[in-house]
Amino acid sequence: METTNTNAITSDDSNRRAAIDRSVRFPVLFLFANAAMWLLGATVMGLVASVKLYAPEFLDRSYLWFLNYGRIQPAHMNALIYGWAIQAGLGASIWLMARRCGVVLEKGAGTIVTAAVFWNVGVTLGELGILFGSGTALQWLEFPAYVWPLLLLAFLMIAWRLVGMFARSRNEQGFMITPWYVLGACFWFPWIYVTANLFLNTWSLHAPLGAMGAGINAWYMNTLIMLFFVPVGLGACYYFIPKITGKPIASQQLAIIGFWSLAALGGWTGFQKYMCGPLPAWMPAIGGAAAILMMLPAGIVALNHHLTTIGEHGMIQTSPTLRFTFVGSFCYLIASLVAALLGNFWTGSSMQFTHAEHGFHLLAIYGFFSMTMFGAIYYIVPRLTGCEWLSARLIRSHFWFSVYGIATLVVCMLVGGLAQGESLNAPDNWNLPVIGSIINARGYLIGRTIAWVFILWSNLWFFIHLIFMVLGLGRRSVAPTLLHREHDDAHATA
Amino acid sequence: MTSFRKFLLGLFFSFGLPWLVLIVIPALRAQKIAPVAYDKERDGMDGVYPGKGINRQGQLVYAREGCVQCHTQMIRPSFAGNLDGWKKGWGSDQCDAPRDAVRPSTMLDYLDEPVAPLGVQRNGPDLANVGYRYTDKDGKPDRNALHVQLYAPRSDHKWSIMPSFRHLYTYHKKEGKGSAYALRLPNASPDSNFEVIPQQEAEDLVDYLLSLKKDAPIPGQVVAEAAKK
Repeated sequence: METTNTNAITSDDSNRRAAIDRSVRFPVLFLFANAAMWLLGATVMGLVASVKLYAPEFLDRSYLWFLNYGRIQPAHMNALIYGWAIQAGLGASIWLMARRCGVVLEKGAGTIVTAAVFWNVGVTLGELGILFGSGTALQWLEFPAYVWPLLLLAFLMIAWRLVGMFARSRNEQGFMITPWYVLGACFWFPWIYVTANLFLNTWSLHAPLGAMGAGINAWYMNTLIMLFFVPVGLGACYYFIPKITGKPIASQQLAIIGFWSLAALGGWTGFQKYMCGPLPAWMPAIGGAAAILMMLPAGIVALNHHLTTIGEHGMIQTSPTLRFTFVGSFCYLIASLVAALLGNFWTGSSMQFTHAEHGFHLLAIYGFFSMTMFGAIYYIVPRLTGCEWLSARLIRSHFWFSVYGIATLVVCMLVGGLAQGESLNAPDNWNLPVIGSIINARGYLIGRTIAWVFILWSNLWFFIHLIFMVLGLGRRSVAPTLLHREHDDAHATA
Repeated sequence: MTSFRKFLLGLFFSFGLPWLVLIVIPALRAQKIAPVAYDKERDGMDGVYPGKGINRQGQLVYAREGCVQCHTQMIRPSFAGNLDGWKKGWGSDQCDAPRDAVRPSTMLDYLDEPVAPLGVQRNGPDLANVGYRYTDKDGKPDRNALHVQLYAPRSDHKWSIMPSFRHLYTYHKKEGKGSAYALRLPNASPDSNFEVIPQQEAEDLVDYLLSLKKDAPIPGQVVAEAAKK
């Protein structure tokens, strides 16, 4: 490991690292700042959408037609996914790749920033498209059809740099699990994205796909989680946990098994969303089976992280990065259990088409992925800006409001989804309209709104804090901002 | 560099297999699905299955308004504990106690739809057979009832959480005796000076919803279905 032994750091090493940080400074900060802005926007839209589900009169004015639930909800999810999650993931990937491969980004910072501008233009066009009536109704691909080539091009421009860094990496860098995961994500995402868009947005107009198209759409969502968010998130976990605890990854064998079982299983999931539907039965069956088997890589990775952290759990209290990363990596385990619950016949038939699926998506995107990205941002940004986070209190409140928010959200969505689905499937309700499922879910939907308020509060401060840092207005100090009550130097290297 | 190449091959094949087997081959086959003719001897009826398709122009409005966020179009079979087939009003038979369950949806039901809007969530009722739901006493499609549902969703059920699609309608002062297309809203006073006229998009959407009748008999199963009756 790069800094397994903190005593062995030579000034040569620190100079090299400082040079790497300098070289990626502008693109990474640009991506993070834009991502945080989209996160704030996505949170506001999520709040509005959540209220509309139990109070349809909310913001229901004739001139606010573009805020109907059918538009604001997809706009919210797309802003969360493309605006925040993928963008933050790319920013973290660039830094992780450069640091872990020990490569200075000699030229290409300009290309990355250009690509990032393209990406943000694409997301903006897409969001406006959804709100003002060119949404495609393909879940998570609601952006109008002219947006995807732009996003793809931007992604490829950045991914190409990452592959280049890996190819130039120095041989003595040791075990490269983080670059593996990042490379996997760079490789799979364009493939998934092109496949889904070509079939659903382009060819389907000439050669209709019918129900199969819906299946491909469901596959896209699940593979996006399993083969982009999971690898990038785990790549960050595999970097920061050993880095901060100062211990090597507990088991290289487990890490390798975890990686390849994810790679082998990730592409099969998705069709279980439409189980019992019009698609040939083997497709949802194989999707559900893969979703259940995905507990295997999740368990292996969780075990590995746990073994790495053993004895150093106390550092979760002090290090903001480790704290966020720990919660993220824990949520990955929970998310894979929920995916298995949704993917099998016995529990899945009650949760199908309910809020439970939404709960799973948010658990994966926010509970797991975003938390690991927050952890990464808290570590990376001070190294790029040369100043430290202003306030431990802001970080603490970001953490706690995020954790309570996402926990409330996921629990409400899972239990509320179950209540909704059970009500629809209850034999007593056969001759009633859907009133049962609406009344049963109402309490949980109000809980969802409260959760979004929490998350909005936490992300508002996160955004402000990050912008201060990006502007170079952080604390001038050699000691990092830790979460202890007093700023002590005991863990200054964390 | 050989390990890098091996690594890339690993990435390629691990994902390439499900990509090919689960997506590409089934999608290419799905694109080639063709209607099936009924056998007069066996099924006792002429024509092809599925019959009339959907109104594509209205489906675009359906997509744009995000209806899929809350409405599915997929009847599940009852064996997994699902009640879809027995829900009142989700099939062709609108009476309180239909004799038979609505049959589950099949691939062919969505023939010629670029991507079938099977739905994201089911916060509202399923719409696979919604074309049967809005009929007047003579069994003719009741466009007005559907327009009223879209314009003022809570006029029928107070507890409904459906958003209003007022932006697909124009609201203006009556001229003369008023337009023949004006909505007959249940709680509007008859001497009101204003009227609500559906725009073309609203008409398309209603055409589409009325064309949703995904329960045509399946060739080879018609007699079996009839025998149950």
